[in-house]
Amino acid sequence: MTLLNGILAIGAAAAAIPLLIHLLNRSRFRTVPWGAMHLLDSVIRTNNRRIRLEQFLLLLVRCAIPAMLAFCLARPVLTGWQALPGEVPSSTVLLLDNSYSMDARSNGKTHFEDAVDQAATIADQLDRRSDIAAIATGGSPTPLFDSPVFDPRMMTGRLQRLSGGFGANAAVDSLTSGLGVLGGMANARRHLVFLSDFQAADWQPLSGDGAARLRAQLDAMPIRPNLTLIQVGDEVRDNMSVDSIEFSKTALGVGQDLRLRVNLRNHGPRSYPVARVLLRLDGKPDSASQVALDPDSAAQALFTCRFDQAGSHVVEVEVEVDDRLATDNVFAASVTVLKQIDVLLVDGDPSSEPLKGETDFLAVALTPYTFGRVKLSDLLQTRTVATRHFAEDAIQEARVVVLANVAKLSDDQVSLLTDYVRDGGSLLIFLGNKIDMAWYNRALRSGQAALLPMAILSREGDSPEQRQGVRIVAQHFDHPALAVFNDRANGNLADAEIWNWYRLGTPEQATTSSPEETGPDTAMVMARLETGDPLIVEQPFGAGTVVLMATACDADWSTLPLQPVFLPLAQQVITTLATQVMPSRNLETGEPLVAVLPSESAGLPLSLTAPDGTRHTVRPVARGTQSVVQFDRTNRPGVYTLSGADADSIHFVAQAPRSESDLKPLSSEEMSRLAEELGAEHVGSADEFLELERTRRHGREIWRLLLAAVLFLMVAELFLQQRFARVRP
Amino acid sequence: MEGFCSGLHRSPHKGFSVEFKEHRQYVRGDEIRSIDWKVFGKTDRLYIREYEEETNLRCTILLDRSGSMGYCGSRNGAISKHDYAVRTAACLAYLMLQQQDSVGLVTFDTKVRRYIPPRSRATHLRAILDTLGRSKPGRETELGRVFHELVPKIHRRGLLIILSDLFGDVEELLKSLAHFRHAKHEIIVFQIWDPDELEFPFRQWTRFESLETPGNRRLVDPAHLRNAYLENLRLFREQLTAGCYRHRIDLVPMTTDRPYAETLASYLAMRRRLK
Repeated sequence: MTLLNGILAIGAAAAAIPLLIHLLNRSRFRTVPWGAMHLLDSVIRTNNRRIRLEQFLLLLVRCAIPAMLAFCLARPVLTGWQALPGEVPSSTVLLLDNSYSMDARSNGKTHFEDAVDQAATIADQLDRRSDIAAIATGGSPTPLFDSPVFDPRMMTGRLQRLSGGFGANAAVDSLTSGLGVLGGMANARRHLVFLSDFQAADWQPLSGDGAARLRAQLDAMPIRPNLTLIQVGDEVRDNMSVDSIEFSKTALGVGQDLRLRVNLRNHGPRSYPVARVLLRLDGKPDSASQVALDPDSAAQALFTCRFDQAGSHVVEVEVEVDDRLATDNVFAASVTVLKQIDVLLVDGDPSSEPLKGETDFLAVALTPYTFGRVKLSDLLQTRTVATRHFAEDAIQEARVVVLANVAKLSDDQVSLLTDYVRDGGSLLIFLGNKIDMAWYNRALRSGQAALLPMAILSREGDSPEQRQGVRIVAQHFDHPALAVFNDRANGNLADAEIWNWYRLGTPEQATTSSPEETGPDTAMVMARLETGDPLIVEQPFGAGTVVLMATACDADWSTLPLQPVFLPLAQQVITTLATQVMPSRNLETGEPLVAVLPSESAGLPLSLTAPDGTRHTVRPVARGTQSVVQFDRTNRPGVYTLSGADADSIHFVAQAPRSESDLKPLSSEEMSRLAEELGAEHVGSADEFLELERTRRHGREIWRLLLAAVLFLMVAELFLQQRFARVRP
Repeated sequence: MEGFCSGLHRSPHKGFSVEFKEHRQYVRGDEIRSIDWKVFGKTDRLYIREYEEETNLRCTILLDRSGSMGYCGSRNGAISKHDYAVRTAACLAYLMLQQQDSVGLVTFDTKVRRYIPPRSRATHLRAILDTLGRSKPGRETELGRVFHELVPKIHRRGLLIILSDLFGDVEELLKSLAHFRHAKHEIIVFQIWDPDELEFPFRQWTRFESLETPGNRRLVDPAHLRNAYLENLRLFREQLTAGCYRHRIDLVPMTTDRPYAETLASYLAMRRRLK
C-alpha cells in the first residue's frame, strides 16, 4: 500500500485527541458527597463490565474517526496485485471494430464514432514513452500504421480519419494480428484493447474452442498482455436490411428483361407495415415497390429491368425506412450486359440436309429468334465450322467452343484448344458415333492437354432398332446451369430418352491430369442417367471450363434435341459456360477483385476508384492471350470502378456478409463468459479501462471507501452515545 | 380515626369537655347535673347540655439524622434533606401543640439519639425546638433496627410521623413498620428526597463519596449510569410504596425544592377529602 498524500497521514495522530479528552475528563472530575449510595453501588456493581466495554467501544470509535479521516486524505492505494511499479511506460494495441454494424446509432452518435472517441481517450492518456498501435477489424485486420507510434496526437488524428462501414468484424484474426503486433512493441507492460459492439453474430463463434486457442496464444506469449474488452454503444435491435438480390439470368443481353428478386429482412422487434423499396440502375431511380415486414421476418420484392447498352452496370436496391442502421438498407450488384456471346460449333458430322447435321439442333436451340425470324435479339450467336476448319482465326472471337461428334483433332488444333481453355475459354464436348474413343482418351487426357473431365470407357446402349432408352435422373441439380430445372415448370430433363451413350470413368479415375491445372477431384457430375452413368460432367481447366456430354447432340442417339427442354438446357449450359469463366464482379468484402482484359491492355495504367472515392492505379498483367488486373484491398463494401483511358468502365461490387445486420449483442452472461474464456477484463468505457489501468499500475485507491467508513463511524458514534448514555437535555 | 389538626378531627366519644356540642330533651335516667337550668327558666322545659370530648392524640415525630439526610443538592439555595426534615418536624410539632395534642420527638441514626416523650403543654414546644435545633446529620443508619427498638418505648398507641429518606434495607424497614402497626400505631412517612437523587442530572466524570460510609467512593461517568440508576430508583420506590400500602401506611414523598408547608397542606387536604 502507498499513500499519494503521505504528509496528510500525520493527521492520524489526531486519533489521540479523544483519548486525551477521555483522560482529561477522568482527571478533572467533580466530587459529590452522595447519600443514595445504596442505589448507586448496586448499579455500578452490576454494570461495571458493561460500562467499561461501552466506554472502550465508544473511545475506539472516537479515536478511529480522526485516524480514518487522515488516512482518507492521504489517499491510500492498495497495491496488492501491482505487477510493476507505477509510472512504467506501456505498449498498447487498439483493436477497433469498424464493421458496418458499428454504424448503428444510439445516444445521438454511431457506435463507431463512440468507439473512435473512446480509443482517442485511451491514446490521449498515454505518456510519451508509451507506444501504441491500432488495427481496424472490419472485414480483415487492417493496421492503421505500419509500425507503432509514440505520439498520441498522431494516433488520435489517424483515428479521427478512420471510417466505418466495413465487413464483418474479424475478431479472431484481429486478436491474433494484435498479439503479433504487441510481440514487437517496445515496452514490457502490454495492453490489447478491443473496442466493439460485441455483436452476437461476430462473437458467438469465438466462444469455446476459439477462445481457448486464443487464450493459449495469450498465455504462451513471453510477456502476457492484459486483454480488455470495451463494449461501446447501447443495445439497439431495430434494423431492416436488404440481404441479397437474385437474378433470373446469369448472362444478360442488350434489351433483354432481367428479373430481380430482392430479399429483405427485418431483424428487429419493430413492425414495418409499409416499406418502400427503390430500384436504381447506374445510380438513377428506375422503379419502386412496397413490402410489409413483421418483426423478425423476411420478405421479397420483385423488379424487372432492362439495359439498352452493353457493358458493366450497377443495380442498386434501397429500402427506405428509418431504422437504427442505415448502411445495410442498400444492396448493390454488378450486372454485365453482353452484346452477344459468340459460340463456335465444330461439327464432326456435317450434312447439307436440314437438321441432319450434328450441330443443327444445337444451333436452333441457341439462336431461336434468328431461326424463328422473330424481332427479338438472340444473346448467343453461333458459327458452325467443320472439323478441318477449326483454326485460330475461327476461335478468336468465340466465348464457347462446342465439339460435336468430332472424331479427332490434329495436334495443332489440340494445342490451340488447350491454350484457349487454359486462358479462360469454355469448351463443351458432345460425343457421338464418329468419335475415336482411343484418341480422346489418349490425346485429351494426358500431358498438357488433359481437357477431358473423365475417361471414355465404353459405348453403352441398344442399337437404334431396339430403341430401349434410359432417362436422365431428374434429381435436385446443384449446378447453376441446371438449377433452373429444379422447377418443373421450366421443363423436365427426364422426358428425353437416351438410347446410346458413353460410359465415363468415375471422377476418381478421371483425375490423371496435372494437378496444377485442374486440381484433385475437380470433375463434377452435373447429371446422371438412370443407369448411374454420368451424362454431363464438368471440370475446370486453367482459367477455363470443360463440360463433357456423354451422348450426341443430334437426334440419332436420343430424343433430347426433340424435347422442348433441349432449348433451355442448351441455353443454360452455354450461357453459364460463357459467363462463369469471367471472374465474378460481385464479391464479398476482402475477396480479390479480378478483371480479365484483352491482351493489349497489359502494362497500361488503369484507374480503380474505391467506394470511398480514393483512386488507385493498377496495371494489367499479361496472362496467355489475355491480361489480368487484380486488386486485393476490397475490405470496404461498395462499388469499385475500373476505368481506362479508352475503355468502358467495369464495375465491381463488394458486399459485406449480412450477418452484421442482426444487431443483437452478446448477453451479459455471454459477455462475462467470453471475457472469462479469454482471460480478459470487460469494461463499459475507456474511462473504466483507464481506471482499471491505474489500478493495475498503481493499485486501487480506497479513499472513497475510507470516507464512507468515516461517515459510518460518525453515525455509529452518535448512535452508540445515544444508546449508552441516553443523555436528555 | 384520630387526627392531629384542630377542627380536622372529631372524636366519636361524647364526654366532658369545654366544647359545647348540642341541647337535647331530658329523658329519665339522665344526670340531674347535666340539666341546663337557664334554658329551663326560659322555656320551662328540661334540656340536657352535651359537650364534645376531644381526642387525647399522642403523636411522636421520628426524625432521621443519618448521614444520607445531610445531602444538599447542587442547586442554588438548596437546603439539605436533614434541614428540610427539621423544619417540617418543627412545623408539625407546633401545629399539634396548638390544638392541645401531645407531641414527642425521637432523633436517631444507628440508634436512638434523643427521645422526648409526648406532652401537650405549650412549653413543650421549646424543648422540641431546642432538640431539633441541635440535631445534625450523623453517619450510618439502620432504620429497621432502630424502629424495632422504639416499639416498646412508645407504650400508648398514637400517631407516628417518620421524617426520613428511608435509605437502607427495604425489607427490614417494612418489617419494623409492620411492628409499629402491630402496636396499633398509625404511621405517616414523609420521605424526603433531593431532586438530584430523583433525576441524577450529573454529566461530567464524578466521584461520589458516601455520606454514611467514609472511604466508599466511586469515580464514574454518570451519563453511562443514569439509566440503570433511574431504573434502580424506580424499583426501590415501587417496593416502598407497595409495602406501605400493604401495611396501611401513608407514604408522602417530599422534595427539598418544594416548600414543606405546601406539601403538608396538600397532604392534609387529601386526608380531609378521604374522610
